[in-house]
Order: sequence, then C-alpha cells, then structure tokens
Amino acid sequence: MIGLVHDVLDKQIKDRDGENAGRVDGIVLELRDDGPPIVRYVEVGPITLLSRFSMRLAQWYARYDRKLGNGRGQPIRIPWTRLTRDGPTIDMDLDVEATPINALEDWLRVTVVERMRLP
Amino acid sequence: MKKALEVSLGIVTSVGGFLEIGSIATAAQAGAAFGYQLAWAVLLGTVCIAFLLEMSGRFAACSGHTIPDAMRERFGINFFAVPLLVMLGVSLIVLAAEVAGVGAALTLATGVPLPVWAIPAALLVWLLLWKATFGVIENGVSLLGLVTVVFAVAAVKAHPDHSRFAAGLIPTLPRHDRAHYWFVAVSVLGASISPYLYYFYSSGAVEEKWDKSYVGVNRAIAALGMGFGGGLSLAVLVLGAVLLHPRGIDLEHYQQLPLLVTPLLGRAGFWLVVASLGIACLGATLEIALALAYLVAQGFGWSWGEDLRPDQDARFSLTFTAIVALAALPVLFGAQPLKLTQLAMVLTAASLPVGVLPFLILMNDESYLGEHTNGPIGNAVVLIVSMLALVLAVVSVPLQLVGS
Repeated sequence: MIGLVHDVLDKQIKDRDGENAGRVDGIVLELRDDGPPIVRYVEVGPITLLSRFSMRLAQWYARYDRKLGNGRGQPIRIPWTRLTRDGPTIDMDLDVEATPINALEDWLRVTVVERMRLP
Repeated sequence: MKKALEVSLGIVTSVGGFLEIGSIATAAQAGAAFGYQLAWAVLLGTVCIAFLLEMSGRFAACSGHTIPDAMRERFGINFFAVPLLVMLGVSLIVLAAEVAGVGAALTLATGVPLPVWAIPAALLVWLLLWKATFGVIENGVSLLGLVTVVFAVAAVKAHPDHSRFAAGLIPTLPRHDRAHYWFVAVSVLGASISPYLYYFYSSGAVEEKWDKSYVGVNRAIAALGMGFGGGLSLAVLVLGAVLLHPRGIDLEHYQQLPLLVTPLLGRAGFWLVVASLGIACLGATLEIALALAYLVAQGFGWSWGEDLRPDQDARFSLTFTAIVALAALPVLFGAQPLKLTQLAMVLTAASLPVGVLPFLILMNDESYLGEHTNGPIGNAVVLIVSMLALVLAVVSVPLQLVGS
C-alpha cells in the first residue's frame, strides 16, 4: 500500500550512484476501462513544478527550455518501473546523466562555471 | 575526545557567528535610547534562538534531513513556496545590511566612502564561497569573529550598575517614547532570532554527517554558544547604556559605533571595533548567502554542498553568486547601513512565524525524529516568542512611522 501524494510526491530522487536527481514534481497515471488507474511515470523538473501553480507560467518556461536542445520544452518523465521507495527518498535505477534531469545544471556548468575558473 | 573538541569548536563558532551588524546595531541603539531597560529583549531573543538552533541540529542529526528538504517533502511545493519566498526576500535585505556592515568597517578604517566598497566586499565574499570548504567558512571566519569579545572586555571596564542591569532583564513598560521602545524591542528580537542561523546550522550538521550520537553535542553547542553570543549582545547594550544614554546620544550612524569602546580602550579600541564589525559582518554574509543557496537547492532537490567544487553543483554555486550580487546593490546605490539594518531586523521579526510554525510541526513529527521529538517547553518558548515578535512588529511599526 502506498499513498502517492504522501509517500511519493515532492520526495527527493537519488540516482543509482546516490546523486541528487531532483524531486518528484508530478505523477502520471493511466486511466483504464478494465481496471483501476495505474502509475506510469513520475515527472521531474521546472515545467511540471510550475504547472502546479499556473499552466501559463509552465508554458512560458517551456518556450525557453525548448532552446536548450532537442527533446526539451516538455516534462521529464521517469518510468515508474525504474523507481523504488527507500524511506523518505525515491531511488532511481538510472544514472542521472543518462536522463535530461540535469540538462540545466550541465548547461550552466559548461557555459558559465567552467569559464569562471580561478587559480 | 573528538566530541569534546567538536563541542569546543562548535561553541567558539556559535559565539563568533552570533554577533553581526544586526545584533551590534540594535543592542547599541537599545542601550543608547533606553539604558538597561531593553536587556530583556536580548535575553528573550537569545533563549529563543538557542531553542531553535538546538532543534534544527537535533532534526538534522536524527533524520539526516535539513529543514528546507523536510519542509518541501512534508508540506508539498504549494506550501513550501511561502516560507521559501518570504525567507529569500527578508534574508536578502539582511544580507544587504551585512554587506553594508563589511563596507562600513572598511570605510571606518580607510575613510573611503561606503558605496565604493560594495563591489570589493561582495567580491571577497563570493571568492571565499567559491573557493573555500565548509569547514574553512564555518570555523575560520567564526574563530576570527572572537575579536568581538572586545565588547565584553569593555563592558566590564565600564563598571555598569549591576542592580539596574538585572532589573532590565525583566520586561517593563517604557516611561517615554512608547512607540520607539517597542520598535527597538522588535528590532532586537529580529536581530537575535535570525532564521538563516538555524537553516545554516541544519545544513552544516548534514554536511558534517551528524547522526543521533550528536544529540548531546548539539545541545551543548546551542546552549553554551548562543548563551555566550547573547552575552556579547548584552555587553553591547551595556556599553550603549553606560556611555551613550547619559549623554543623550542616539545611535544614528555607523560612524558612532566606535564610541561604544574608545572612551574605555582608546585607539586600540577603535581598531578592535572596526575589526569586530568587519569580521562579524563578513562571517554573517557568508552564512546567509550559503543558507539561502541551501534553501533553494534543497527545496528543488539539486546537488548541493560547500565541500563540492562549483563545477559539481553549478546551480547551487550560481545561486549564491546571484544572491551576493543582488545584496551588494543597495550599498552600491547609497543605502544607509543602520536604516537598512533596522528595516531588515523588523522584517525578520515580523516574518518569524512563517518559518517557525511549519518547523515546529516537523519537530513534533515522529516519522522524522522518532523518540527525539520536541518537549512542551521548547514548543511553547519558540511559539510564544515568534508570535510575540509578529504582534509587536505589527503594532509598533505603524506607531513608529506615525511618531517619526
């Protein structure tokens, strides 16, 4: 038995190396005619997060996010089957770098931080 | 032995980290305007921050969570956004006041106008945050902050009236300037109960990998460290009461701060006050910038840690970079440090319940703390003082504005 809002939503996600990989910002359910809804994905990232306040804000952010590369500008989805609960955190059986979760982090590292190298 | 060393270092850190421009300025203003009569506000604020600090350390040691992390997890983003935005807004103004404090010390030392120091002061802070580890920031700057003990030495040499000082520790109604009295009392409370201090402390405990075996160490650090730190604030108030109050001098400019010590310690006293102001404000600036970056990074689940290199936590590092840059702007555009400080302290006092109430709910949640949840005394002290600060701020600020 698992309470999706209580036990999953807003929890910290850790990747297979224990690195922080964002928080569960949304949960995607599939509605079925022949049974109860099932959880398909969790969503991570600013677009989903902002949509919990305002869809217009989320769409505005998505327009800018699209410029970060192919496949950007939409919510990042992690299949439910790759996730397990570990106390208050959610373990993801993936390397965070193999997902788009850290795209903004990587973009900032390459375009800003690595150009600010100090002796 | 290792724990005893950690207790000593923690206490030294707390003492060095307690005093900053808010505590120095508001305690001195209280002493100058009302003699010993507002000593109770310093005492009340110190007791409250000691409880809050102990709670935040216990929370981190028992749950492995920082406060922002648990707030987001427990209450969800729609609720967490409120303390996040309030804390960011208010603490940015406090941070600007601290940058002004660093600049004011440099101005006192060199005579070069304050706005000129805005960018160099911000750059120094940023460079330390960018390059130094958590240990260097927490222990190094706070150890240097022990120079603020000069206020205690001067207070002893000032031969205060002990019975009147003791009487000031019990709240009394003002005999004159009621609105100003409550306004200064609120400023003192806001300066003592700085939310950034306990947010920073809980993140530090997680960075240093505290576990349940640190519950006792944490209690000693919070009680003794905040006790000594509050003692230094009281020393500043005593100096204001002995040296400024009888001469009718109100503290209106930071250039007057050395007057708290120079009549007793001469030229050496001047330089010690300048060093105290500069180092204490530098320490506070580092802690506030880090506390805010922790708040954002933990709230959104990013990689974070002062011990990581900036290329390992780019969002965290660029968050504190942006925060320090924003905080330098008011000084650059000529904001008056004492006015900025007073505004920051009153806003801090008024916003206390926004952060404290959800924190108290977490502190009573067995799923995080197990058998180490809060007792009724801790709950009552923190709840009553933070609500009192809010009520006093709401009542006294309009009265002060009307009065002035």
